[in-house]
Amino acid sequence: MWRLLSGVFLGWSLGANDSANVFGTGVTTGIVRYRTAIVLTAIFVILGALLEGPKCMKIVGELSHILPNDAFSCALAAAITMTLMTYLAIPASASQAIIGAVIGASILSGSADFTKLYKIVACWVITPIGALVAGYTIHRVLGYVLDKTVVSLTRRSLFYSAGIIATGCYSAYSLGANNVANVTGVYVGSGMLTPETAAIVGGLSIAGGVLTYSKKVMMTVGKGIVPLDPFSALVAVLAEGIVLHLFTQIGVPVSSSQAIVGAVVGIGLVGDIQTVSGRMLAKIGLGWVLTPVLAGVMTLGFTTLLT
Amino acid sequence: MHEGIMFLEKILSHGKKERQVTEDIREHIKLLCTACEVFVTALEKQDRNLMMDVIELEREGDAVRRKVISHIYEGAFLPYLRPDLCKFVELVDEVFGLLKDTVSYYLEAGLPAKLKDDSIRVALLNQRMCEMLLITFEAMLRGEDLREKILAIRIYEKKIDDIKFNLMSDAYQVPIENFWKGKVLSDLLSSLTSISDMIEDASDHLQIIHLGTR
Amino acid sequence: MAVHDLQQRRVGGMKVQEFMTSKIEVVDSNSSVYEAAEKMVDKRIRSVAVRFSSSEGDFGVLTTRDIVFKVLAKGINPKKVKVSEIASKPVVCIDRESDMDDAATQMLKSNIARLFVCDQGKIVGLVSLLDVMAAELISHARGDHVS
Repeated sequence: MWRLLSGVFLGWSLGANDSANVFGTGVTTGIVRYRTAIVLTAIFVILGALLEGPKCMKIVGELSHILPNDAFSCALAAAITMTLMTYLAIPASASQAIIGAVIGASILSGSADFTKLYKIVACWVITPIGALVAGYTIHRVLGYVLDKTVVSLTRRSLFYSAGIIATGCYSAYSLGANNVANVTGVYVGSGMLTPETAAIVGGLSIAGGVLTYSKKVMMTVGKGIVPLDPFSALVAVLAEGIVLHLFTQIGVPVSSSQAIVGAVVGIGLVGDIQTVSGRMLAKIGLGWVLTPVLAGVMTLGFTTLLT
Repeated sequence: MHEGIMFLEKILSHGKKERQVTEDIREHIKLLCTACEVFVTALEKQDRNLMMDVIELEREGDAVRRKVISHIYEGAFLPYLRPDLCKFVELVDEVFGLLKDTVSYYLEAGLPAKLKDDSIRVALLNQRMCEMLLITFEAMLRGEDLREKILAIRIYEKKIDDIKFNLMSDAYQVPIENFWKGKVLSDLLSSLTSISDMIEDASDHLQIIHLGTR
Repeated sequence: MAVHDLQQRRVGGMKVQEFMTSKIEVVDSNSSVYEAAEKMVDKRIRSVAVRFSSSEGDFGVLTTRDIVFKVLAKGINPKKVKVSEIASKPVVCIDRESDMDDAATQMLKSNIARLFVCDQGKIVGLVSLLDVMAAELISHARGDHVS
């Protein structure tokens, strides 16, 4: 059971890092109080993990044959990579970290199923693009509808308040549903836990990270994203939630950070403004490459140590 | 969980706080219109008592202003809207201030007969501008396009600008007893003609608020 | 709000004296057209009142159209023409308590671009086509019309 600890660590760092994708804009624009945001996020992440979390766990196990020790190493390597990326202020994808780690482990045992890997990588690529399209479309359509229906100032104001909270909760739910597989999927794959138990453990550890360590990332404007108006913030989070929810149905864990960035870029296209700096995009690209590689290498190291 | 309860309150109150704020601001602008109206009559009749009434109305307006600001920061509207709303209220307050200054200068040194007609015309146009400001505010609340209302305000402002030119050139020909009397007259004309600029600023700010929510 | 006769659209019941220009530029009838043109360009106005020294309160009007069409376009030297030769008399007046709507009708009837606003025979202001339009815009913004 000590092997679960690395998973908990991974869940914790994921929660700390990704909760900003859910209520980050809501908090920094002052619409939602920080404490309310993290409590809501924690609740809905657990809900999502419990209700739909197991859907994505299958593919983690199918990727390669994982031994319990491997599971420990993978989760640990992924967690360390995530923490490092957070420290470097590079948006990190837990999905890429854990998958990279699993591949790393499988290199030694030679049992990697690369067809599954291609499917996973394809989904990673589609995530930001899909979020971009979703962000753009929702912004236009919803904007049009709102201009026709919710017109008075007071109503708009109330709509935005309620909307930001609602979309945030939905996004947290999707995050839990989609990403809990990253956290404890390896234990299911190695037969140590049932999907349901893994969902509980993973969900709780993510919630833990959200509640204890997410302030720093949430308050950092240095995420390189242009401060959004309430409507755009609402749309971005909604787009991200939908994308993650969709990929949960497909059964592949994807990155919420990349989804939110894609959505924000898509929204920027509506007004023809560049919402994400080139520098940030470069950092994201760097993270794309570094994360799985680093995690994979580290896992190699750990598994070698353990055997 | 306190925040959670507060938030639920906000949703369930169906915008009660917001309604309070809009009522307050409406009251504020209406007071300003009344003050302008009283000022016109006071000028026409050269009634010092009516002039004092204007000062009283300014004091009332100040009280309303403080009420609005505190209501806004008790949690009405979204945080990003609040500074703009407050700025608008401050601008209306500055119009009040200019009106009060004009009255003070008048009470101190009166107004030469030659300048009376044009001054009354400016004062009347100021009143019309305030009425239009109220109309613009209501339209903004309803989420309407403000373009034609802002155009109307600009038309009034231009008219005042034209009169101002004549007013000033007539003023140059008024014989003055000493520097201080001249200064008071100059300050009176200056504040009287600045009122319209301030109202225009306020109306521009309504446009800013309107655009901020689209 | 006032009840409006839908057949006869009113320019918001705005009084002429609210929209008139009160400062009228005056030229003497004996001055030259050139001097009048100078004044008009300098003050950026399109018409001046012409004071005829013959009797008190006897006024005419000179417009940019008069100057351009009757003098300049014909190649006549404006310095050689007296204002009295091309000015129009008498001026078309409208009472200061009239509505802008009446002003518009009057302008159409007389086919002129401006009216002098009079109070008991004395000229107190000028209202132009532009003023009628401005009044309409303001009236519309106030929501005075039932469209």
